[in-house]
Amino acid sequence: MKKLSLLSFLLVFSMLLAACGTSDQNNGSDEGASEEKKTLRVVTDAAYAPFEYMDGDKIVGFDVDFVNAVAKEAGYEADIVHVGWEPVFVEIEDKIADFAVSAITINDERKESYDFSHAYFLSTNKILVPEGSDIKSAADLKDKVVAVQNGTTGQEAIESVLGENNPNIKKFENTVLAIMELKGGGADAVVADNTVVEEYAKNNPDDKFVVVEDPDAFAAEYYGLMFPKDSELKAEINEAINTIYENGTYAEIYKEWFGSEPDLEDLKAQQ
Amino acid sequence: MDFRFDLIMDYAPLFLKGTLLTLGLSLAGIAIGTALGLAIGLGKMVKNKWLSLPFDLYITFFRGTPLFVQILLIHFGLVPLFTGKTEPVTAAILALSLNAAAYIAEIFRAGIQSIDKGQMEAARTLGMTHVQAMRHVILPQAFKRMIPPLGNEFIVLIKESSLAAVIAAPEIMYWGRAMQGQYFKVWEPYITVAVIYLVITLSLSFLLNRLERRLSTE
Amino acid sequence: MIKVSNLKKSFGTNEVLKNINAEIQPQEVVVVIGPSGSGKSTFLRCLNLLESVTDGHVYIEGVDLTDKSVNINKVRQNVGMVFQQFNLFPHKTVIENIVMAPVKVKKVDDEVALQKGLDLLRKVGLEDKADAYPDSLSGGQKQRVAIARALAMEPKIMLFDEPTSALDPEMVGEVLEVMKQLAKEGMTMVVVTHEMGFAREVGDRVIFMDGGYIVEENVPEELFTNPQQERTKSFLSKVL
Repeated sequence: MKKLSLLSFLLVFSMLLAACGTSDQNNGSDEGASEEKKTLRVVTDAAYAPFEYMDGDKIVGFDVDFVNAVAKEAGYEADIVHVGWEPVFVEIEDKIADFAVSAITINDERKESYDFSHAYFLSTNKILVPEGSDIKSAADLKDKVVAVQNGTTGQEAIESVLGENNPNIKKFENTVLAIMELKGGGADAVVADNTVVEEYAKNNPDDKFVVVEDPDAFAAEYYGLMFPKDSELKAEINEAINTIYENGTYAEIYKEWFGSEPDLEDLKAQQ
Repeated sequence: MDFRFDLIMDYAPLFLKGTLLTLGLSLAGIAIGTALGLAIGLGKMVKNKWLSLPFDLYITFFRGTPLFVQILLIHFGLVPLFTGKTEPVTAAILALSLNAAAYIAEIFRAGIQSIDKGQMEAARTLGMTHVQAMRHVILPQAFKRMIPPLGNEFIVLIKESSLAAVIAAPEIMYWGRAMQGQYFKVWEPYITVAVIYLVITLSLSFLLNRLERRLSTE
Repeated sequence: MIKVSNLKKSFGTNEVLKNINAEIQPQEVVVVIGPSGSGKSTFLRCLNLLESVTDGHVYIEGVDLTDKSVNINKVRQNVGMVFQQFNLFPHKTVIENIVMAPVKVKKVDDEVALQKGLDLLRKVGLEDKADAYPDSLSGGQKQRVAIARALAMEPKIMLFDEPTSALDPEMVGEVLEVMKQLAKEGMTMVVVTHEMGFAREVGDRVIFMDGGYIVEENVPEELFTNPQQERTKSFLSKVL
């Protein structure tokens, strides 16, 4: 029947198109996959420069280099896939991915549902505001409209000041969108990890944003790699992390991205 | 305003890849959706209420919930159930197909029921069985009437495929957002994306018109 | 050939046929007349089960159509029908319309069906229209094609449901001519019509229906010149 052959042609054709269109969304070891090394599925939300972000169709960032180093040390290949922020949690919960790296802060609430590796980065939430803003501390955020990334410690931090479910807190899918809201005038401030907002302010001088810190209100936090509960992989990864702390690989990566020495003692003290 | 064409040019190859995927997703959606839609449409028309119920429920669910929700359910729930991992392209094709099938089932039903009752009567009085009458008399006529709404559904799918960006399927919209994420710009990526969609839908509308005109003069 | 006993037909609560008894002999031409709403079309459509029977029986060549186990498609191969609205298949050419049923239903060989079809077209005077599409034909031509299509199945009985009612007056004649010819050749025919001239000329028997009953039936000369029932008289006075 003419109808059937037309349909099947369309089907085959569209499969070819789909195959062409799917580029390598992933970033991992570019050397050809070797038989012995198992590949780990590592999920991330690549919208968080300088930790993980998209450069065209490649995922790059501090977290990327860190994970690649750790995986290699543990004898694995890492296939880092961008899935988005909320999907990261879904995939770990459903055990679809092996672990996640996405500048995820270790906290007790998350520990209830997930496991974390050793801390690998120290961060504080800070406030991004336009130059000349009268916001000089966390307390000044009262009655202001603040944009955050949904489900982050940045959101928690501002909630501790404004209260949970305050309608003045605008939650966005990722930090980029929150910052764009600030640019567009829909928010008075953005609360997010210090590295991210400092990086943004530095790279976008025309926007005339400044970073305000309030270490009393917003405490220090640590990032960890996030595993499904009771993951057996965690131990191996932790071992690998300590190894690259010892052998200087971590410091090398840190210096490359942040231009300074890491405080390894502080990190190791969290273990 | 400083419109950065150079950034658009940087992203051009990615937009091209995204366009191919968008077309692929929509084509697959319409192809599978049409085949499935025919089956479901016929199933819904079965006289026995118990037999037609599952088809009715299918149509009700897929037409009564947002495609957005369906995409999320299929991507995070359904696909991993079978493959153990998430596959954005598979999930997107599945969601678009299942969704389209529900609408196409109704297009089929309407098309078939729009055929004059006398046609079925004439076929049956000539001794044809119900199936023979459907196959040789009703369906061929109905198909012709379904081309315009089917073509429209295809154009709808092109636009709806943009939702697949949220599950990280690298189609046009996905790259638009990626460009926004990388450069913190709004106009350049989204105007580009809008123009691409416009070019696609206008071309399709034009082709569809030509097709309709050819069919009506036959 | 056709026997109808105690036929009753209701659409929901509306009783359209109240108690019909009739017999039609082979080669008989029976014409059914009556006012709108009398049930004459419904009666005709019960003869090939286009309408289901609420009560009573319809026998075609001894086969009881109301029997659940009857293969109605088989029966219909022997009972041709011509509709007021022609119902030609618009997506097929004239000749394709005619050969479709013989080929698909009776599995007649394509060549044989084609020849037979062309013969039938010749018979109704339209062999030059074989490759035309129905919508290029006039009403009268369409109906003649419809008759040829029904005849292609070589039925023993032909039912006509107001075959000329949708035609412009100048085309009525050409269709009635074909029907006359058919009657002359000995086809068993049941014709619902308003064409009293045809009834008189060609009919072997005329049945007058009103209000769901057969009010009167007789040979045409008798019924038209000497109606017995009041209702018959009243109807005829309006139409003759």
